[in-house]
Amino acid sequence: MTQALRTIPATRAKDTRPKLRIFEFKSEIPASWRLTLGVAVWVIFFAIWQLAAWSGVMPAILLPGPGKVLTALYTLFAESGFLGDVLVSVWRVMLSFVLACALAVPLGILMGAFKTVEAFFSPFVSAWRYLPAPSFIPLLLMWFGAGDAQKLALLFIGVIWFLITLIADHTKAVQKDLINTSVTLGGSRLQVLRTVVVPAALPNIVIAMRQMLAVSWTYLVIAEITAADAGIGAMMMRAKRFLHVDQIMAGILVIGLLGLICDYLLRALHAQAFQYLDEYS
Amino acid sequence: MQSSTILSVRNVCKTFPTRGGGVEALRDVSFSVARNELCVLLGPSGCGKSTLLNIVAGLHTPTSGSLSLEGRPIHGPARERGMVFQSYTSFPWLTVLENVEYGMKLNGIPKAERRERALHYIGLVHLTKFRDAYPKTLSGGMKQRVAIARTLANAPEILLMDEPYGALDAETRWHMQEMLLEILRTTQTTILLVTHDIQEAIFLADRIVFLSAHPGRLKTILELDFKKGKEIRSKEDLVELAGYPECEREIMQLMRGEAKLEEDA
Ligand SMILES: Nc1ncnc2c1ncn2[C@@H]1O[C@H](COP(=O)(O)OP(=O)(O)O)[C@@H](O)[C@H]1O
Ligand SMILES: [Mg+2]
Repeated sequence: MTQALRTIPATRAKDTRPKLRIFEFKSEIPASWRLTLGVAVWVIFFAIWQLAAWSGVMPAILLPGPGKVLTALYTLFAESGFLGDVLVSVWRVMLSFVLACALAVPLGILMGAFKTVEAFFSPFVSAWRYLPAPSFIPLLLMWFGAGDAQKLALLFIGVIWFLITLIADHTKAVQKDLINTSVTLGGSRLQVLRTVVVPAALPNIVIAMRQMLAVSWTYLVIAEITAADAGIGAMMMRAKRFLHVDQIMAGILVIGLLGLICDYLLRALHAQAFQYLDEYS
Repeated sequence: MQSSTILSVRNVCKTFPTRGGGVEALRDVSFSVARNELCVLLGPSGCGKSTLLNIVAGLHTPTSGSLSLEGRPIHGPARERGMVFQSYTSFPWLTVLENVEYGMKLNGIPKAERRERALHYIGLVHLTKFRDAYPKTLSGGMKQRVAIARTLANAPEILLMDEPYGALDAETRWHMQEMLLEILRTTQTTILLVTHDIQEAIFLADRIVFLSAHPGRLKTILELDFKKGKEIRSKEDLVELAGYPECEREIMQLMRGEAKLEEDA
């Protein structure tokens, strides 16, 4: 050891474990806190709801308590064949969404990959994005009647333009050096598209699908309420006619649950299919 | 000497079109690279080294001038000119083995041969233990080793490297540089490597092509005679070599001269 280097003995550290504080910027909290807080917000919500129902601020028929809503939900499934309505709604969302993806995924990828394709479609797609889908309902009713076709069409035009735009943006964001790597290894344009652009953009494309599937549920309800034939929205409009507020609320509950389940399934699919990613973003 | 030329760059100019009339990145650059030599393109940041390397790779086209590899003119990117980039380019959805096989798969090499060659080059960059790992579990240095193995396995006639160790920490950079020399001792490879790191240039190069700042012009070509015939395996070997300090000083002065010209301009 040279004279120039001198070692300094380490001093014993004081106990400096940070105290857990309730409000701390951006610091992680224990899992138990997270669970407790997450449950607490629902407990408070149901308590306020129940209290409001008991207090009589609104007639009981307009504001049933949570218990009544759950009972209504049970009766709907057990006695009124509500499952059929739910399946019709789910089927409409799924079919329209598969159709929208079948068009949006290839088109979005091509727009993101090739400037010429983008220059051709982009002005068209952007314009349609600013036309609110519900404004087409009167037209769709005249063209397709009040059946499945009208619902599917509304759901389709409700998500397709945003889906294309999001997928094109995600494709555009693929790192240029990844593409150049493949090109300098001798990759043809088709090979680069198939082996680099698509797999690189895919995780974000699935995220875009997850986001737009949630939007799809929104349009489903709009479609079913405005032209009620079958489905969850139709049940709610029937319930309105007979002042069954508990059934309407049960319908809202089911829609919320279905949305959550869809979101969860796509999230799980993402985590499963893209395990090679650093972390779920 | 002339017969061993593999790459030749003649009077290359490059001006990028911009709204303000264009950025002149390269002016009349000519040099050649000999077979099995490691030629370093050195120069201050922004002098056009990457632009020049991209032109050799075929990713950019020169505004004027011509390039040829083995006498064949260069038009567009091709397998014969493999490139390692500064950013990490391992495909995250492929394992190390699949990454290294990737280029050969594009070029239709049969599966058995592909596997054998991939494993050979993975061994050469000391990643055998990680052959089935995904890039997310690898450090930056390991990712660059995957990129080097992937390019070499694809059997290019020249290996182009653009600041391949620029994003690595100093210690990892040493190891990577030493490993590159080790690879060169066992495989016949021609390399054109870009860097702005003087030590890296002296350590790796047989010859240094020095570009001046903005627009990039050929300033001088340095033959590293003090290294000829010497066995250099580590940084320590280099630092102890007679002639090293003078060489480093000379290049530092070249760099400083460029910086001063920039200020005066
Ligand atoms: N695509 C581009 N468009 C316009 N100017 C560019 C482009 N690429 C590089 N340049 C300019 O060319 C010059 C050289 O850049 P570059 O080759 O990246 O330098 P180096 O790799 O030596 O740091 C810089 O002034 C840079 O701004
Ligand atoms: Mg550069």
